[in-house]
Amino acid sequence: MPQTAANTRQLDEHLLEVVRALHGAVKQGVSHKDDSKIMATAIQGCKEILDVIMEGNVQEWLN
Amino acid sequence: MFTDKIELKDFDKMAPEYKDLLGHVLTIQADCEIGGPHLYVETMLPAAPTKLDQLIVARTAAEEIDHFRKVARVAGDIGVDVSFVLSQPNQQRFVDTFRGLITTWEDNAVFGFLIDRVGRYQLEEFYDCSYLPLQRILPDIVTEELGHIEYGYNKTLELVQSGDEGKEKAQKAVDYWYVRALDMFGHTSSKRSERYRYWGLKWRSNEQARQDYMNEVGPILVQMGLKIPDPNKGRHYM
Repeated sequence: MPQTAANTRQLDEHLLEVVRALHGAVKQGVSHKDDSKIMATAIQGCKEILDVIMEGNVQEWLN
Repeated sequence: MFTDKIELKDFDKMAPEYKDLLGHVLTIQADCEIGGPHLYVETMLPAAPTKLDQLIVARTAAEEIDHFRKVARVAGDIGVDVSFVLSQPNQQRFVDTFRGLITTWEDNAVFGFLIDRVGRYQLEEFYDCSYLPLQRILPDIVTEELGHIEYGYNKTLELVQSGDEGKEKAQKAVDYWYVRALDMFGHTSSKRSERYRYWGLKWRSNEQARQDYMNEVGPILVQMGLKIPDPNKGRHYM
């Protein structure tokens, strides 16, 4: 078997959590389409999560 | 031609060229998956026309991050660390298309309609490929890419149908992205592409995939009331 690259599993687990959190926030917003306050909160939640991913500080995520 | 199907446990027995090609194609795929969100999250998440569209931008990004995760896992298991692409500046992306920033809603719509469609073509190359762990992650990824393409198509069509101004914006965005989409298939005479096919990692030549794409997209553009851009104008990879 080849040697697995360092942090493969940790990164996989971290990103899976991120993706679940994003889907949770999107679902919360979409299911309250008529409530602009809930929609805005959901969008803000997504933005905060995505900002961290776009920064790409992988070592920070895994520590 | 290599016609076997291999599992992770067989990887060490493979020729160095196979290992290199598989690592290379997984790295590019991972870069493209995360390269999309890097083009539009910062600008389109706050600027999408409705709150629902904003959430769909976020959902699309979430799905692309998940695609990156799945590809990164397959790569990591063979010892290839692709995590560096998560912090790579856009200007250093492997594929030219991902080296800018999407700043208008029409570009965002056409990006989904045309560029995510190229993404689907690239993923389809791995259908029935020789590396089974890669094959296994495809169905869910392709299903989600189809959703991105459909959303992009619908938003482009909305623009076209909104009046002359919207149609002009859509055509301008199509003119911009169409040639970039064609370039994404690579050089017609690519030696690496031949080796991918030899090792059963891809099944079409670059030119065949590009031609299939043009045959699919052309009639859709015409049906939408848009013009098919000159396929040779502004191209970098012929």
